[in-house]
Amino acid sequence: MKTPVSVLRLPRGPDPNSRGFDPSSPRFLALCPTSVPSSSSSSSDEEEQRLRAELRERFLRTLLLMTGKRVRFDMHEHVRVHARFGASDIDVLNLQVSDLETPLGVQREALLRCQDVIACSFEV
Amino acid sequence: MLRWSSRNPRHWHEFINHEVCVTAGDQQRFEGRVFTVDPVSASVVLLSVQENECPSVRVILGHAVTDVQILRRGTEETERQMKSVFLPDRAQVLSAEELKSRRESVRLWLEKNRVPVTEDGELLCVANALTISAPYRPGDCSSANEIILSRIQSLVESIPGAEQPSAQTHQ
Repeated sequence: MKTPVSVLRLPRGPDPNSRGFDPSSPRFLALCPTSVPSSSSSSSDEEEQRLRAELRERFLRTLLLMTGKRVRFDMHEHVRVHARFGASDIDVLNLQVSDLETPLGVQREALLRCQDVIACSFEV
Repeated sequence: MLRWSSRNPRHWHEFINHEVCVTAGDQQRFEGRVFTVDPVSASVVLLSVQENECPSVRVILGHAVTDVQILRRGTEETERQMKSVFLPDRAQVLSAEELKSRRESVRLWLEKNRVPVTEDGELLCVANALTISAPYRPGDCSSANEIILSRIQSLVESIPGAEQPSAQTHQ
């Protein structure tokens, strides 16, 4: 189980023709003001912004706490793998991990798609 | 019934600090106290509440969450305990009186060293060129002028009296 395996597949790089972010990502769609907001005065927008900032800051601190730790990833079909957490991207779409333990062996570096992951657990 | 990930931050904020049961995609259930819900991905961060065990954290990705039910409401004490797990000492909030007395002692020290300083709410303003925000440590000074910044920083660093060491260890 601990035998290392060679790189199976490199991840796809960023789109060379775009500006670097994905205009179809959920985050972009949520924050981009393409539609007229339905009933919001400026004060409730400020309040919502403040709540968003607080929630996001707490989440970033969670990611900080998770960095470098051995994390258990629960995925679909009751698949469970362990790996060392490295980083997440800004939209929480991909997770960079090291020493991913798979049935094939240990993958030195890997990128997990968040769509495939249900939950991650770790001890503080 | 709206999907969890379509809710607004106000809705998610309601769950913070409460013990909940999160139901994920294939009928899996996770219990714990909510530390936060990421507004970008709607992911729920839970802290395990068992005593006598190493605290463990579980992050349930937003796309998998189907339901969140509150089991028990939290208290100020539980919020404080959670914060001590996640937030480093620097981010912990000092009480208003502690902040006020620290601000006062820093202000007096600066005045004693002939530095023109005024109070602006919670900020200390030095010579219209530098501000010191709570909790008034060397790292909280901000200025556009490097020379003033380094001089005031070393001054704040050398304040005499009962100063807490900047690195406290928790747990």
